[in-house]
Amino acid sequence: MLTCKEVLESLSDYLDADMKEDLIGEMKRHFGSCEDCRAEFDTLTMTIKLYKHEHSAPVVMPVGCHDRLVKVLELEKLRSKGGPPPKMV
Amino acid sequence: MPAVTDEELVRKSKEDDERAFGELVSRYESKVYSLALRMLRNPEDAEDVLQDTFLRAYRGIKSFQGASTFSTWIYRITANSALMRLRKKQLPTVSIENADEREAPVNIADWTPGPAEQLLNKELQHEMDEAIEALPPEFRQVFVLRDVEEMSNAEVADILDLSVAAVKSRLHRARIKVRNRLAGYFSDNAKPKHRAMGAH
Repeated sequence: MLTCKEVLESLSDYLDADMKEDLIGEMKRHFGSCEDCRAEFDTLTMTIKLYKHEHSAPVVMPVGCHDRLVKVLELEKLRSKGGPPPKMV
Repeated sequence: MPAVTDEELVRKSKEDDERAFGELVSRYESKVYSLALRMLRNPEDAEDVLQDTFLRAYRGIKSFQGASTFSTWIYRITANSALMRLRKKQLPTVSIENADEREAPVNIADWTPGPAEQLLNKELQHEMDEAIEALPPEFRQVFVLRDVEEMSNAEVADILDLSVAAVKSRLHRARIKVRNRLAGYFSDNAKPKHRAMGAH
């Protein structure tokens, strides 16, 4: 029988399904009899859902970001080939 | 025609093929920027990290041994560059190894009923952003790579040069810290039911 301490330490592994079958069964049994640990698990699960939901849209690079990166790399090429020292961009 | 592999582009880049390196930049710039922005939460800082990352990659490509994939290597440079910036900005925090250890559950309010999108309003988003910003940099790295970029524990361990056990430990503690912040928000702003008190 798992203690609350052991369950709390294993919440993320359980949530990520990174756990042996028999231990999963023990976790489920513990949640069935311990509402505090069940609430710990439910709120942790929802925290991750909320965070993923907020960050589900792909990030778009700002306009000009690619061009500025290319410029920085071109200046580095010049510098590495002994060209004039580049100005900081 | 099959796409040229990263390995092939790396090999050509080592031979000073500028177009090959340019192709690697095209393939990874968005991913690098995205990771940097999610770690730093500031577009200017993210762009600085993007430039720093590819400058380091350009300078280091000839010594890249290929022990890991190019993607792991470029993410490692990104994560380290972002970490340096975070450390400069953040005030000293408590030791990350012994934070938030608890023996037993507290009587935590259950605010979970209902779908995530119904809970997520501007105020909560702000609360969550602040919770992420308050994470120690080493926690934030792991949290973003695992829960946002959805990499595996093994990939994150490889990128951050940590053991899988250390990744799992940091991830769990980061999640708990963010959850506790949200729990505080809900206890102040919502009407949760307390399971342990027996909701009727």
